[in-house]
Amino acid sequence: MARDLAIDLGTANTLVYMKGRGIVLNEPSVIALNRQTGEVLATGREAWQMIGRTPGYIVAVRPLRGGAITDFEITERMIRLLLQRVGVSRFTRPKVVICVPSAITEVERRAVTDAARRAGAADANLIEQPMAAAIGADLPIDEPVGNMVIDIGGGTSETAVISLGGIVALEAVRVGSFDIDAAIQNYVRREHGIAIGERTAEEIKVAIGSADPTHDENQAEVRGRDLMTGLPKTVLLTPEEVRFAIEDVISSIVSSVIRCLSKAPPELSQDFLVRGMYLVGGGGLLRGLAERIERETEVPVKMSNVPLEAVVLGAGHVIEHYEALKGMFMGARR
Amino acid sequence: MSVVVIIVVIVVVAVVLGLGLRSRTANDGVDSFRRQIDALSPEARKPTIDQVKSAERLDDDDRADGDDSAP
Ligand SMILES: Nc1ncnc2c1ncn2[C@@H]1O[C@H](COP(=O)(O)OP(=O)(O)O)[C@@H](O)[C@H]1O
Ligand SMILES: [Mg+2]
Repeated sequence: MARDLAIDLGTANTLVYMKGRGIVLNEPSVIALNRQTGEVLATGREAWQMIGRTPGYIVAVRPLRGGAITDFEITERMIRLLLQRVGVSRFTRPKVVICVPSAITEVERRAVTDAARRAGAADANLIEQPMAAAIGADLPIDEPVGNMVIDIGGGTSETAVISLGGIVALEAVRVGSFDIDAAIQNYVRREHGIAIGERTAEEIKVAIGSADPTHDENQAEVRGRDLMTGLPKTVLLTPEEVRFAIEDVISSIVSSVIRCLSKAPPELSQDFLVRGMYLVGGGGLLRGLAERIERETEVPVKMSNVPLEAVVLGAGHVIEHYEALKGMFMGARR
Repeated sequence: MSVVVIIVVIVVVAVVLGLGLRSRTANDGVDSFRRQIDALSPEARKPTIDQVKSAERLDDDDRADGDDSAP
């Protein structure tokens, strides 16, 4: 028997929820290919480990990196491999619900649903990420009150106001936690003259990165390649330096939250003062970010207790109640 | 004469059918909206959201080897 599936196709991580079972897969959205033959060599965690460490003929990429589908063919193969791995074949034809960044175009949407159908899905539908996040983060979206959810992922940040099961206001930008990694990489190159890879930059972000000063601040040793001598070198990086390096990215994320707040009807915006806004997504785990958003908007910010799983749980809930909730698919509403 | 009667009957039937259909679609809207809102209630969502607890135990061990998303 086919078990229906919900997929969170994130820019950084892909999660799959199986009806009646819960989350069955959680791994980086990375695919490694042979540059010459185009063959897929690895996906998921295995491919992630190759980023920045491959010989010339292998390339490890994140096909959804910027919140847009840059390469349709690779994305399609990733979806097909993903469905195969969770047991979908031409004989099991499950229904599939997929969460995609809200900013993707009509053409990109078609590409995703067509890929899922070709991989064996009997029916494939999309729902907006912040909507799924609100369902999964357990916000009371069945009531006529303003619920606000901020989802900061790798390549995108999406803020939405949801009431009575529908999106009232939405603001999506193609800026996210990957841009923080890139800003750290650029800073270290410019100010310390050493080159570091994207995974090292991410480790620095998680270890000492912050959006606002915090209590326990530590320095970090950073190892990279000296740009002048070409030799391996270690430098010390302070939390103040990292804050300075990532400031532009943080302020554009905060501005997009403010733009969403200003789009909300006044009746709902007074609800936020009491209920607060909910932060989900891996990018939301950055130290001091909740405090920073709270300080600039004067609206309380709460962390979801399932920041990385909220989206796939929300989509999973839609799969569990497919008939009742099919009106929530992208394109189903007028 | 009989032609007029037939036309009148057809018109009446069409009007009745039209009204019936319209009220049925109106009720459909109410029903499906109700179903959607009910399916989004906290009670309906609880079983789905509780699944994450069992899933967390599952991927605890493979997070240890350097997942980029582990807090
Ligand atoms: N503790 C943390 N502090 C800062 N950033 C984090 C932390 N944990 C994860 N991240 C970042 O969150 C991003 C992944 O978040 P996720 O919600 O899975 O993205 P997406 O939904 O786009 O796939 C990555 O860029 C990762 O570096
Ligand atoms: Mg996400």
